[in-house]
Amino acid sequence: MKKNYGYYYITPLALWLSLFFVIPLGIIFIFSFLEKGLYGGVNLHFSLAAYKALISPSLLKILWATLYMATASTFLIIMLALPTAYFIARSQHKNALLFLIIIPFWTNFLIRIYAWIAILGNNGFLNQFLLKLGLIHDYIQFLYNPLAVIIVITYTYLPFAILPLYSTIEKFDFSLLEAARDLGSSKFQSILLVLLPNIRSGIFSAVLFSFIPAFGAYAIPALVGGSSSFMLGNIIARELTVTRNWPLASAISTVLTLVTMLGVLVFMRQNSLSSRKQTKEPSTNNA
Amino acid sequence: MKTKAILMLLLVVTIFIGCSSDKKDTLYIYNWTYYIPDSIVKDFEHQYNVKVVYDVFSSNEEMFAKLKAGGKGYDVVFPSGDFVKIMIKEKMLASLDKSKLPNIKYLDKNVLAKISYDPGNLYSLPYMIGTAGIAVNKEKVANYEHSSNIFNRKDLQGKMTMLDDMREVLGLALKSLGYSVNTTDNQQLAQAQKVVQGWKQNILKFDAESFAKGFASGEFLVVQGYAENIFLEVDTPNRSHIEFFIPKEGSAMYIDNMVILKDSKNQDLAYAFINYIHEPQVYAKICDFLKLPAVNTESRKYIKEKPHYQLEDLKNCELKEDLGPDLEKYNKIWEEIRI
Amino acid sequence: MHNSKRGLYSTSLFIFTLIFFYTPLLVLTFFSFNASKTMVWQGFSWQWYQQLFLDSPNLWDAFSKSLIIAISSATVSTIIGTLGAIGLYWYSIKFKKTINLIAFLPLLLPEIILGVSLLIFFAGIGLKLGLFTIFLAHTTFNIPYVFLIIMSRLDEFDNSIIEAAHDLGAKELDVLFKIILPMCFPAIMAGFLISVTLSLEDFVITFFVAGPGATTLPLYIYSMIRFGVSPIINCLSVILIVGSILLAISTVKFYKYLFQK
Repeated sequence: MKKNYGYYYITPLALWLSLFFVIPLGIIFIFSFLEKGLYGGVNLHFSLAAYKALISPSLLKILWATLYMATASTFLIIMLALPTAYFIARSQHKNALLFLIIIPFWTNFLIRIYAWIAILGNNGFLNQFLLKLGLIHDYIQFLYNPLAVIIVITYTYLPFAILPLYSTIEKFDFSLLEAARDLGSSKFQSILLVLLPNIRSGIFSAVLFSFIPAFGAYAIPALVGGSSSFMLGNIIARELTVTRNWPLASAISTVLTLVTMLGVLVFMRQNSLSSRKQTKEPSTNNA
Repeated sequence: MKTKAILMLLLVVTIFIGCSSDKKDTLYIYNWTYYIPDSIVKDFEHQYNVKVVYDVFSSNEEMFAKLKAGGKGYDVVFPSGDFVKIMIKEKMLASLDKSKLPNIKYLDKNVLAKISYDPGNLYSLPYMIGTAGIAVNKEKVANYEHSSNIFNRKDLQGKMTMLDDMREVLGLALKSLGYSVNTTDNQQLAQAQKVVQGWKQNILKFDAESFAKGFASGEFLVVQGYAENIFLEVDTPNRSHIEFFIPKEGSAMYIDNMVILKDSKNQDLAYAFINYIHEPQVYAKICDFLKLPAVNTESRKYIKEKPHYQLEDLKNCELKEDLGPDLEKYNKIWEEIRI
Repeated sequence: MHNSKRGLYSTSLFIFTLIFFYTPLLVLTFFSFNASKTMVWQGFSWQWYQQLFLDSPNLWDAFSKSLIIAISSATVSTIIGTLGAIGLYWYSIKFKKTINLIAFLPLLLPEIILGVSLLIFFAGIGLKLGLFTIFLAHTTFNIPYVFLIIMSRLDEFDNSIIEAAHDLGAKELDVLFKIILPMCFPAIMAGFLISVTLSLEDFVITFFVAGPGATTLPLYIYSMIRFGVSPIINCLSVILIVGSILLAISTVKFYKYLFQK
């Protein structure tokens, strides 16, 4: 019987996360059931006030707006990330291109946002360019509206979608595409029916890496959003600092985490069911 | 692989430890950005042969949340008045031994008399006093009153911003109605909410972060903000195109203070620093840098630059106070406005 | 390698993405030579570069701290995340599902919440706040990214190779170093790059877990917000970009040289 080395592999991960993640998460969970301290923090009294406060129309409205923004940007991100990752994976200079993609994001976030403000502003580069070409007669208000938030979110999180897609597409056997073409499917069909199912888990990671940060964004709406630009991230930050309702901030986070967790669990279950159908069962490999 | 990883970890650990060892006495200051000119801190380091670590925050709320959650290690912090009161209540502050602060005698009695958050200055000494005002680009905007009603002007729609700060914006609205900026009266607050909702139609955004950049580049023509903030962003030759005024109805005013944290490990040095700041000639240099009115009477002899506004200009302004549980009323209104 | 033609669609979108990514950088390069500190062109000037090199010790200090943290936390999280993903994917382990779930949960928690709860935890166990706590926090939020990327790379992988290797009597470490890790290399690389990026960027979590004097570059830059971010930061960004690109090119060249040998 061979030794099961699995535990050696996962011990660092399990230790690290139980120490630096599970414990803090537990703190948040407990906080959400406590009474709020007048000046932040919590009083050690059980209370469901935070969860009751969750069911407010204004919070639901923000949740809806945030979902809309995050979904729209994630859609844009995936649409751009797929072909970009595909291009890199099929290139002969993969590593160079990969660096080229990620390097812009080593500059500070705030500086890049300011650059976008300089581009999209009323007397910014884009407006001046369009005015010079005579395409417009007066400036267009690009900034300080939901569209600006979506564009900047797309810009900010696009690389995080490209990288996981690249690493899955890279191992895809491209001869399958050619085979599909030989069998008479169009290029579009072959990509849709052959490539995409094979890189399913890469798409899953890419969606997670773009949707979740987009959902929690708060600096971007504050900087390029308009006068009603609150997103959920802004509310959580407000509850922690300005309004000092730590239990409410904890409750929002707890619910968010639980809901996303459920969604992911459902996805994982389906995923493992479908891979079981393909007669692959890596988990029993060394048992 | 494993040895490499261990070596890497060792390297990291030595770097981390290496960073924290220093033989000189060290004073840890937690303050707003650019609130003390670097040269003053350096002079203090030389005179006392110590090291100063100067960390910064960009809002009272951030600073307080961090300290409240257990952030430790600072000696001197610079909170605004309402937060001094909160920190006193939360027992975060050391009470001041005034015998170690002889320069207290230079402080303006009129300013000290206004201090309601810490009567008798048992825990805090004032550093600067000021208010948010309104800055106007005179080249593009003509015929305006020195009043908050400028935010009602339809012709400036989409070219104005207000601070993303409920106390400042609601405070301005309350003052324009003749009420206190600390009111907890529901009806007065409801009226103020209506006023702000009217302003919201005309302004482009609520922004406390990048509005000054937009104002300096001509994108925004009227902004609510702090003078020192706005003028630092504008190039010197263009400053004549700008007028900064405090609305005649008054606005919410602040006093920023120096306090010593209870768990400070270096209280003597902290006292020395606070006292040093109020050396008249030192304080004059700070005022020249910030162009804010001096609360240190003796220093006024040495001040060379004309401040953005004088203490007299603040006569209609009112200090923001901690509202305790009634802050919730402001939160509700602000959220209704913003969503 | 694959030399079949890449489609017009993917090529044009790739170019679009590059333009999308680099336009803001052109803008900030442009402004780094601006005589004015506003975003209005007032003439050419070297003054910000001069200030950067001659009179910005704090900025360089913050920059080097950020680099140390980015590289160390990215390295550690890449190692932990990669090993964890391999272990979870390849072996039967108790609580597999639970560990799997926990490994990417940090991704879901809003960053400000993670920051505050880590601070409460560190303060509770009496850990001195400083660069080390920043390193711990960054490694924590980087792990799920690495983990998920490696997992998706391993997914659908042909297990028979590994089984065959084991059957032929290959040692565990041989399998790891000669088969699994090389097979994962693009994903390891991607995970490492994401980790470096996230760590260099992070402000919110860092703000809470940083101790006195542990000012990283984002903390330094955000603190300027109220009084206007100085154009010196533009200069630093330009230098960082140019330096990174040169470094990347030379590494690629170096690899090529190695392989030709």
